[in-house]
Amino acid sequence: MPVLEVNGLCKHYPGFTLDRVGFAVEAGRIMGFIGRNGAGKTTTLKSILHIVHPDAGEIRYFGLDFAAHERAVKPRIGYAGGAVDYYRKKKIRDIVDVTRRFYPNWDGAACRRYMDAFALDEEKTPQQLSEGMKVKLNLTLALSHRAELLLLDEPTSGLDPVSREELLDTFRFLRDRGVAILFSTHITSDLEHCADDITYIAGGRLIASEPLAGFLARSAAEGAGDTLQDIMVHYEKESLYDKLAE
Amino acid sequence: MINWLNKECRLAASPLSWIMLAAALLTLVPGYPILLSAFFVGLGLMHSFQNAREANDVLYSVLLPAPKGDYVRAKYAFACLIELIAFALTAALTALRMTALAGAAVYRTNALMNAGPLSLAFTLLIYAAFNVLFIGGHFRTAYALGFPFLRFGLAALVLVVAAESLHFFPGMAYLNAPAGERLGPQFAALAAAAALYALATFLSCRRSVRRFETLDL
Repeated sequence: MPVLEVNGLCKHYPGFTLDRVGFAVEAGRIMGFIGRNGAGKTTTLKSILHIVHPDAGEIRYFGLDFAAHERAVKPRIGYAGGAVDYYRKKKIRDIVDVTRRFYPNWDGAACRRYMDAFALDEEKTPQQLSEGMKVKLNLTLALSHRAELLLLDEPTSGLDPVSREELLDTFRFLRDRGVAILFSTHITSDLEHCADDITYIAGGRLIASEPLAGFLARSAAEGAGDTLQDIMVHYEKESLYDKLAE
Repeated sequence: MINWLNKECRLAASPLSWIMLAAALLTLVPGYPILLSAFFVGLGLMHSFQNAREANDVLYSVLLPAPKGDYVRAKYAFACLIELIAFALTAALTALRMTALAGAAVYRTNALMNAGPLSLAFTLLIYAAFNVLFIGGHFRTAYALGFPFLRFGLAALVLVVAAESLHFFPGMAYLNAPAGERLGPQFAALAAAAALYALATFLSCRRSVRRFETLDL
């Protein structure tokens, strides 16, 4: 049973429509969620968390309809919109202490372990952390309540290569322990190092959702390119050179 | 709700919300429109909403394992907590003015409203206006602060002017007696204001929860 199933997700905004997007994330797998800027990645992630309200579609976590079981589902998932961008002037100790009270499944020992592994100083405030450390703080909060599914919106954006590689290492560690990760990004090289599956959207429409190896092989056979970056460029690049020359 | 109030106090609230509780001391100032203390309490609370907005409190909160409406209820609960502490302080100082300090010359010759049950009733009406106009207005978008506060400010001004004017009407001078006169009707007005405060806050909260559930954040 998938940990997350999305079917026929639609959300209309003036000038943009997310059109019948659907995919499934399995336990213990990393799904890369790709698309160029404005393709609808963040809208999709926000919709499947009810931060925005989809116009249509079905969202099921762990086999449960999200709308009907939001309270039961939320403790089992973690969301990180990249770096922590809330309570920038509050001490990490206070943010952690307030957060843990909401989660019946909070694991204090795990929290301590992640804080130590990530070298997070709880006397600091988020605004005193580098971008990479902010992402790690977000992950610590999500993992300390034993989230079985992590929804990450461009967590590697703005990170230096070493921090990105450390983060990808963390994702691989979590995957090996059964955590599923849905990881949106437009830095496609990150996914080639860690993703098992790929979901690709363009202009609010689903292009593909399948195992990464199969997607790469099929695209190469079609002459679209050998890497995710080549494939995205092949399908989506508009020739600005020609437009500017007109 | 304890966890939510804990979050409000430790992460979302501005220290100004607590500091402005000191505005209750204005109750003792002669020749000053004492009801403005309730406006200042509202001003302090507004800073907590502003602080929360800048700290992305809403995004953090809606991802917590609780119904989204609890976020709204927590905002009302925090506002009521501050308002009721301020009201308790104001009531204590009002009792002091009406008893031990009732003979003070500055209160006997005070041209403005003296503290009493009626001033407490108006204090509650100003808090009710804050909850309905400011908090209710804020949750139309979960973002707006300026216009909701302007509406509250205008309502508070109308209430202050009305309260300060009452004792100038013929036969109403007793409302300004430093030690209180004809307290029965004044306490009845206070009870009615308390009921109105509770009802208005409850209805505003219920409507805000419904609105918040449908907002795209």
